[in-house]
Amino acid sequence: MKNYKMAWRNLWRNKRRTIITASSVFFAVFFALVMRSLQLGTYDSMYKNVIESYSGYIQVQDEEFWENKIVDNVFKNTEELQEKIKEVRNVEDVIPRFESFALASSGSRSKGVLVMGIDPQKEKLLSDVEDKLVEYRLTDDAINAIKSEDIPDYLAKNMDLFAGNSYSSDGRLQIDLGIKESDAESLMPIIEKYASIDNGYFNMGDNAALVGDRLSRYLGLERGDTIILIGQAYHGYTAAGKYVVEGIVTIPNPDIDNKIVYLPVDVCQNLYYANGMLTSMVVHLRDNDDDAIDNTMERLDSKLESPYRVLGWKEMNKTLVQQLEADDKSGIIMIGILYLVIAFGVFGTVLMMTAERRREFGVLIAIGMQKTKMAGVMVYEMLYIGLLGILAGVAVALPSIIYGYHHPIHFPSKFAKIWEEYGFEPVMAFQWIDKYFLSQSLVVAIIVLVAVIYPVVKIRKLKEVNALKA
Amino acid sequence: MKKKLLTIVLFSFYCLFLTAQDATEIIKKANDKINGEESSFSIMKMTIIRPEWERTLEFKNWTKGTDYALTLITSPARDKGQSFLKRSTEMWSWNPTISRLIKLPPSMMSQGWMGSDYTNDDILKESSVVEDYIHEITGEDEIEGRLCYRIKMTAKEEAAVIWGHQVRWIDKDDYLFLKAELYDEDGYLVRTELGKNIETMDGRLIPTIMEIIPEDEEGYKTIVEIEEIEFNIPVEDGFFSQQNLKRVR
Repeated sequence: MKNYKMAWRNLWRNKRRTIITASSVFFAVFFALVMRSLQLGTYDSMYKNVIESYSGYIQVQDEEFWENKIVDNVFKNTEELQEKIKEVRNVEDVIPRFESFALASSGSRSKGVLVMGIDPQKEKLLSDVEDKLVEYRLTDDAINAIKSEDIPDYLAKNMDLFAGNSYSSDGRLQIDLGIKESDAESLMPIIEKYASIDNGYFNMGDNAALVGDRLSRYLGLERGDTIILIGQAYHGYTAAGKYVVEGIVTIPNPDIDNKIVYLPVDVCQNLYYANGMLTSMVVHLRDNDDDAIDNTMERLDSKLESPYRVLGWKEMNKTLVQQLEADDKSGIIMIGILYLVIAFGVFGTVLMMTAERRREFGVLIAIGMQKTKMAGVMVYEMLYIGLLGILAGVAVALPSIIYGYHHPIHFPSKFAKIWEEYGFEPVMAFQWIDKYFLSQSLVVAIIVLVAVIYPVVKIRKLKEVNALKA
Repeated sequence: MKKKLLTIVLFSFYCLFLTAQDATEIIKKANDKINGEESSFSIMKMTIIRPEWERTLEFKNWTKGTDYALTLITSPARDKGQSFLKRSTEMWSWNPTISRLIKLPPSMMSQGWMGSDYTNDDILKESSVVEDYIHEITGEDEIEGRLCYRIKMTAKEEAAVIWGHQVRWIDKDDYLFLKAELYDEDGYLVRTELGKNIETMDGRLIPTIMEIIPEDEEGYKTIVEIEEIEFNIPVEDGFFSQQNLKRVR
């Protein structure tokens, strides 16, 4: 009989043993995958947040601007430059930006803010500010009013938990408040009646501003109010202007949400006395793959000379990248520990199995089976068990991860506040099936292969006489 | 013998007192000369020079005593109409574009005024070179062919000044500020001021051009030129009011 066939039969001779060993592998794979997916996914969502709401993947700036973000370090927005960038492969479009700092004031309150001049239409390609306009705001008044209506208990409880939050979509609101599909039809109109917020967008040339949600609350701004911006303009002129708040936007990154004011780019240029100038051009890409980004950056770099500078998202978000890299290292250590535990678990079961079957081995060798063949069968057995465990692990992890990918975990508000204080969005997301699936499975497979050395060595050293007595 | 010793001690105290008094007196004279004993009105032109660009501002300036000052920008068009007011320790700024009166926090005193190397403090004279420093003559130097006192001014402990100490050179005959070196609290030279182009204006001999050169910025410079100045003009305290800040032309 062939080795692999014999091994397969051996496995099912003692089902329980096989299942125990396989399940230790299964858990190893399952936990490693879910943990890694959660970790990578959370990093990814953090990166995406800051990239897609702020920096973009690649920016072209004046070479001085990054080190010294003053309005004097700007460049002229020419058709020629735009064309030059657009000619590069993988570049879809360029999005103009004019960003600077100002003191914003409304009534008696004032605060330092980040003023961002955007092209209201083109910006939709990237940070889509219009999509981030607040639709619902769970103010205390709104919550009390909703509570006075006929609503289920869980909604009242969840509203207290998420009091003060703002939402730019029905979806997220329903997830947070735990509104079921079946209830949505009856409950949403009530929520809409009391918590919905009227918001508008702006066009080029409008003397209008969009304000971050947290900032708007600090300054006490609502739609139709006036926001005043004062700062230093190009070449030391005074930048001063008043704008009508057209809308309130909620930005996932709390740090930005706390300080952002959007203006139409031409209005912003006028405020800073820098007509036709930009602080940066965000390069919109067709393909956002890590490799594609690197390639596009290289091509842009070789094409644009001084005084331009090409910056990648990693450079623009250095602190976040470093923070997450450090976190990633600790995550890898955690997974290493998990592997260690798993390795000992697998090894333990193998050890037990070998001891258990000592007599069996002895008998087989006594009746003439070769040790090499026996070891071969053993290796096959272990491979089967490993494969079984890995496949089962992947099979179970897959739907969990797919589910998690579509339903990210939102922290309840108590923890959320802590996360937000660190400047993170309080969401844990899963990473879509990717390279890590292979590497995690491979590591577990290697553990199994290492564990198999023990029975093989044991078989080679086996003394039939002693084994038979066992 | 004892008597002699006492005399020497007393005399040296007297000398110390005398020189200290002298130094303060010199600074006060020089300060009064350029700012007016009672009040002053001036029209000035300021040129900000940067490695890549330069621009010019024109403004009018009223002062009365050490408590009141009002500055109005008259050019360029974009900045025209902005005005600044100082009343004892409070400072206000008016911006016609946004029709807002803004109180300047003390923390903004050391910031550049209108993007120049002049600080808000220099323009509004919140701190006084006479009252906020301890003066001491440390020697004599010749600057541009004029013999000058070299006076070291150490900021008083309780004074709200942005400098640690200053060294000023003052013309011996005409009490003119010809040069000043301004140091921060750690004793590093932050900027140098030079008084140039000595001319008679409104009957007084004064340096009509002041150059400010920051120490650590290559190619940075601000030049303030006095185009017109009148000393001890009649001006009411009421002129320096928030209402007038918005109205003044």
